[in-house]
Amino acid sequence: MEKVLVTGISGGQGRLLARRLLDSFEVCGVDRVAWEGRPKDVNVHQVDLRKRKFEDVFRTEQPTAVVHMGMVRHFRVSEQVRHDVNVRGTKQLLDHCVNHGVQKLIVISSSYVYGAAPDNPFYMDEDFPLGATRSYPEMRDLVEVDTLASAFIWKYPHIRTAVLRPVNTLGYYVHSMIGEYLRQRRVPTVMGFDPMLQFIHEEDVSEAIALALEHGLQGVFNVVGPGAVPISVAIRETGGTALSLPEPILRPMVDRAFRWGFLPFPSGAIDYVKYPVTLAGKRFVDATGFRPLFGLEEIFHSVRR
Amino acid sequence: MSALGDLFGALLPLSMRDVERDLDDRIRKIPTRLNEFGYDPWGLHPQTIRKTILPALALYKYWFRVETHDIERVPPGRALLIANHAGQLPFDAAMLSVAMLLEAEPPRILRGMAEFWVSELPWVSIFAARGGAASGTPETCREMLEAGECVIAFPEGVRGMNKLYKDRYKLMRFGTGFMRLALEAQAPIVPVAVIGSEEQQPGFANARRLGRMLGMPAFPITATFPLLGPLGMLPLPVKYHLWFGEPLHFHGAPTDEDSIIEEKVDQVKAAIEALFERGLRERRGVFTG
Repeated sequence: MEKVLVTGISGGQGRLLARRLLDSFEVCGVDRVAWEGRPKDVNVHQVDLRKRKFEDVFRTEQPTAVVHMGMVRHFRVSEQVRHDVNVRGTKQLLDHCVNHGVQKLIVISSSYVYGAAPDNPFYMDEDFPLGATRSYPEMRDLVEVDTLASAFIWKYPHIRTAVLRPVNTLGYYVHSMIGEYLRQRRVPTVMGFDPMLQFIHEEDVSEAIALALEHGLQGVFNVVGPGAVPISVAIRETGGTALSLPEPILRPMVDRAFRWGFLPFPSGAIDYVKYPVTLAGKRFVDATGFRPLFGLEEIFHSVRR
Repeated sequence: MSALGDLFGALLPLSMRDVERDLDDRIRKIPTRLNEFGYDPWGLHPQTIRKTILPALALYKYWFRVETHDIERVPPGRALLIANHAGQLPFDAAMLSVAMLLEAEPPRILRGMAEFWVSELPWVSIFAARGGAASGTPETCREMLEAGECVIAFPEGVRGMNKLYKDRYKLMRFGTGFMRLALEAQAPIVPVAVIGSEEQQPGFANARRLGRMLGMPAFPITATFPLLGPLGMLPLPVKYHLWFGEPLHFHGAPTDEDSIIEEKVDQVKAAIEALFERGLRERRGVFTG
């Protein structure tokens, strides 16, 4: 039986994935925090990706496959820490995969790496350049992780490596930026803008990762859910109230609120609710036959406020 | 907004009320696939069109008194409409859209490719998307055609839009992008001649440099603009005729060199010119006919 090591296993998405994988894989994981109430056959090692002890996990568990989702995607820590954990942590992990005979690797990136810009074409494929840092410099570590992992595909072709870029993920368990955004009591939007956003359910993301493992995918893949709606519809359907503000007011407000710790994201994030970032999911569907189980209505209803 | 709409609706002449009543039925018959919230993948929302179409309808019925000829030639499924472009402001696109919704069978939403700067304009970006336009690359256009949509393109672009009065009903240089796209998507091309738009706002000069300074693609000098200010942008109440030609089917590689593509483009131009000739011959007057 294949043994999968999941980084970030104690997070919402990690737990879902672990439970999904248990049917067909042995599962172990690492995280900085414990997972209370985990299934008893799942080993969770509380280590830091940047520490030597992380390599010991590879020695003792000897995983044949790794799913890397243990990135810091929020901004409650300093840029320095984010860079350390995300970029250096990923680099360490890639080295360990090479040195300890891992055969399959899945790295979970996101649709955000493409960046939101007025000249984005609709339904971008995986070859579209990653432009997130043009207006959102705080994303540079996550873009770099994606780039590191994509380069790894070519450097070590004998390790089946897939980089997955799922669209906006919502659900009961997952902690995502878009989830945090939609759960606000008053959801700030940019006056006069209402871009199309794609959504996917957390369970479908787990399913997609499992499919990628089972198929031993190699390459970069967008993972797209059932469809897209304007952000105003997403706010309405998740039970929120939009607070529409003119951009010249919104931007400095968000900047200040972020600096003082009232808001979980910097003003660069505004572009993601101003311009569309829509992805083509064809490559992944062709490779795995993936079909999202959850429709848009179910996705929106799964957001608890 | 909707209270205003109701008030407006109550003041409508009877003939407009009939059209209004008809609209729901026609919007239901649009073949475009929508998701459970009523949107298509590019942000089209027929219900928004339903709520905001009234001014365009009034222009269609009373200002330009649009008459269509052979609109049944537009085939069901994918089609690329190619038309002349003139008149300083794109009323030709708006009138073609209304015609396709009111008079084509089945009713169609005319899809257009918007310039990228459209997506930077507040509200304009929303209305463009809800009305069926997409900030487009050729790729987006191809995907729309492959989804069975009816797409409009004006290969003259701004060259046509700001042409001078002396050049009316003369086609400016056509780009070749639309032909490569039609070949790639294997979409039939329907040539369309818009009669009337070329006289709606006679331009005598184009102060391009001034336009560029103001961040506009052109700065037309017409009989009424800039003399009368914003009011001068109102088009003359010319009579519009929309002539639809037989669909043209082209074959060949979309990557062929320009000379081969241009031959095909010339066939489309010739078809539009033939429609011009007939349309101009058959109309009685610029305002009455």
